[in-house]
Amino acid sequence: MIIKTFVKETKESWRDGRVRIAFLIVLLLLAMAVWVGAHQYQNVNEQYRTAKNTERILWDNQGEKNPHSAAHYGTYAFKPKYPLSLVDQGVDKYVGTSIFLEAHKRNEAQFSAAADQTGLARFGDLTPDFILLFIIPLLIILLGYNSFTKEREMGTYTLLKSQGASNWKWAMGKWMSLFIPIFAITALLFLITGILLSNLKDFGVFKWQSLLTMFAIYMGYYIIFINIVLIISSRAKKSGIALVLSLSVWILACLAAPKAASNIAEAKHPYPTRQEFAANVLKDKKDGLDGHNPWSKESKLLEQQVLAEHGVDSLHQLPFNFDAYRMQKGEEHEAEVYFKHYNYLKDQFAQQSKVYKGLAIISPYLPTRFLSMAVAQTDYATHWDFADAAEDYRIATQKFLNDHFAENSNYGDWSYQADANFWVGLPNFEYDPPKLGEILTDNTSSLWILGAWLALSFSILLITTKTI
Amino acid sequence: MISTKDLTKKFGDLTAVDHLSLSVKEGELLCLLGANGAGKSTTINMLLNFVAPTSGSATINGLDVTRHPIKTKEFITYIPENLMLYPMLTAIENLDYFSGITGRQLSQASLMGFLEEAGLQKDAFNKRISTFSKGMRQKVGIAIALAKDTKVLLLDEPTSGLDPKASNEFGNLLQKLRGKGVAILMATHDLFRAKVVATHIGIMKDGKLVQQFVADDISLPQLEKTYLETMNYKEVLS
Repeated sequence: MIIKTFVKETKESWRDGRVRIAFLIVLLLLAMAVWVGAHQYQNVNEQYRTAKNTERILWDNQGEKNPHSAAHYGTYAFKPKYPLSLVDQGVDKYVGTSIFLEAHKRNEAQFSAAADQTGLARFGDLTPDFILLFIIPLLIILLGYNSFTKEREMGTYTLLKSQGASNWKWAMGKWMSLFIPIFAITALLFLITGILLSNLKDFGVFKWQSLLTMFAIYMGYYIIFINIVLIISSRAKKSGIALVLSLSVWILACLAAPKAASNIAEAKHPYPTRQEFAANVLKDKKDGLDGHNPWSKESKLLEQQVLAEHGVDSLHQLPFNFDAYRMQKGEEHEAEVYFKHYNYLKDQFAQQSKVYKGLAIISPYLPTRFLSMAVAQTDYATHWDFADAAEDYRIATQKFLNDHFAENSNYGDWSYQADANFWVGLPNFEYDPPKLGEILTDNTSSLWILGAWLALSFSILLITTKTI
Repeated sequence: MISTKDLTKKFGDLTAVDHLSLSVKEGELLCLLGANGAGKSTTINMLLNFVAPTSGSATINGLDVTRHPIKTKEFITYIPENLMLYPMLTAIENLDYFSGITGRQLSQASLMGFLEEAGLQKDAFNKRISTFSKGMRQKVGIAIALAKDTKVLLLDEPTSGLDPKASNEFGNLLQKLRGKGVAILMATHDLFRAKVVATHIGIMKDGKLVQQFVADDISLPQLEKTYLETMNYKEVLS
């Protein structure tokens, strides 16, 4: 009976012109989104590769230069674009693509894609994640809102019941008739994406298992929607009511809940304003050693300590350039200040995430969105991870430059210039994003919540279909 | 096959069916006559277990319908006044579905055979139900009963709205089913059709079975007179 009902429902849907048109529109939108996404992905990666190579060439070819001048000259850490960003762009568009690494200062990522767009960017882009998260649930509603109500309205329900049809099998047939086309359309999208990505050479490491994980997450999301739509249809008296209720659930789950969760999280654990943050950093920086100021109290104290350690009376007698040494100590102090303040931001972010993820219980959209972005490595956590890696590299670069300055010049010798070949000695910035296992471990709560939604919606569906 | 004993249904203060006891054996066709609200449809709904009886019992093939709601439906085919099928599916697809949901796997040839036996024109087999008249839909309903190898046929005003030719064809089909041993209970207002097709005729009033005849023992004029008298339609009788 399950198969018979599935075949019957599929025939009915396919013969209904509205459903056929809606299905084709979604397919067309998906094809466009993937095509545009793949094009953008290739472009951005090409730009990333070009920028990274050009920047390195510029660094390596600075010629003879004072290391501290080079520290101020700076370099860039470019954020790679990950293969699955083709499916889910996450926060990538808003968080910047590169971080300028210079002496004394931790900069934020800049040159975000959104900053390069006009106000039209407010309308959003046609991306696969938009279709996957918003449009396909709408398609599920369109396909399934009248699954049960139409039987009552057409009068076929009476005949079915008189035939002794099993409610459970009947409902499963209807469930399958929604699941199979949604599975097919989603599988097609992910298959095309996988084939596209596995054929793009030199553009990051693509892993099928990550893509399959993402596919499974979305299928879980769609199953929840299918269950909800069928529950509503089985309880509603008329198709119109079922449609309005299903659309209301969609609006609440996909549009209202994320915004409400975001507002609650922000209200409970607010970020400091940019001005506050900058002022706090500046204050703490001033309370410590400034590598550029030999006359400060902290510099004098350091001077005394170093002289005592080496048992000499004058900075000129030290076996290294004290100016560079002080510069390094100043960097270390500044790095600590940044570490402290960015850790506070991270802590606030973690608290917000906790609230946000806790609120995922109110909508299946939220855990799906978190998991999708996380697996695609386009979430805020991955961005933090990248920013931290860039900061570690900045600190290591400053040490590399200051140590060289200190070891190869004398106190007061600001005219020292490092050899033209020195710069190539700086290791490249390599960022290794979190692996799939770590990502899933970090997002266990979202997995549990999605699982709970699945179990709950299935249970309610089974109970309601018993009493149709 | 069909049996009720003191079957009663109350909706609040209203007694829709009042201690109804009847029996329809294999190959018999009992026509229940009565005005609107006499309790004919409620009786059928209780036999289908769509409505739970207030008291008394109803059995199909010896099984109590309230205790064995699924099992008893294995023997039943129900054709309501306005049989609704899936309009986007063809006649053969509808038949395939409705016979398939009870677990029967029938070949295309068998399905076509049942439709043909039910009197549907061959060129209509693959046409969508949305293009069918009521009479054609009733024939598909009979084909469903044939495909199911039904033992009990419950009909609720099946000939209302049918033209005389379609009504006659439908009557012939019922005779054919009766010949196969199917027990048929038909609720109708159509005295003529009742006299033609039934083996037994009952008249219901206010939920009670107030008259019962063997169809061959009563002529159509007698039946009409008895019916009008029972219904107390004095102005018509005078």
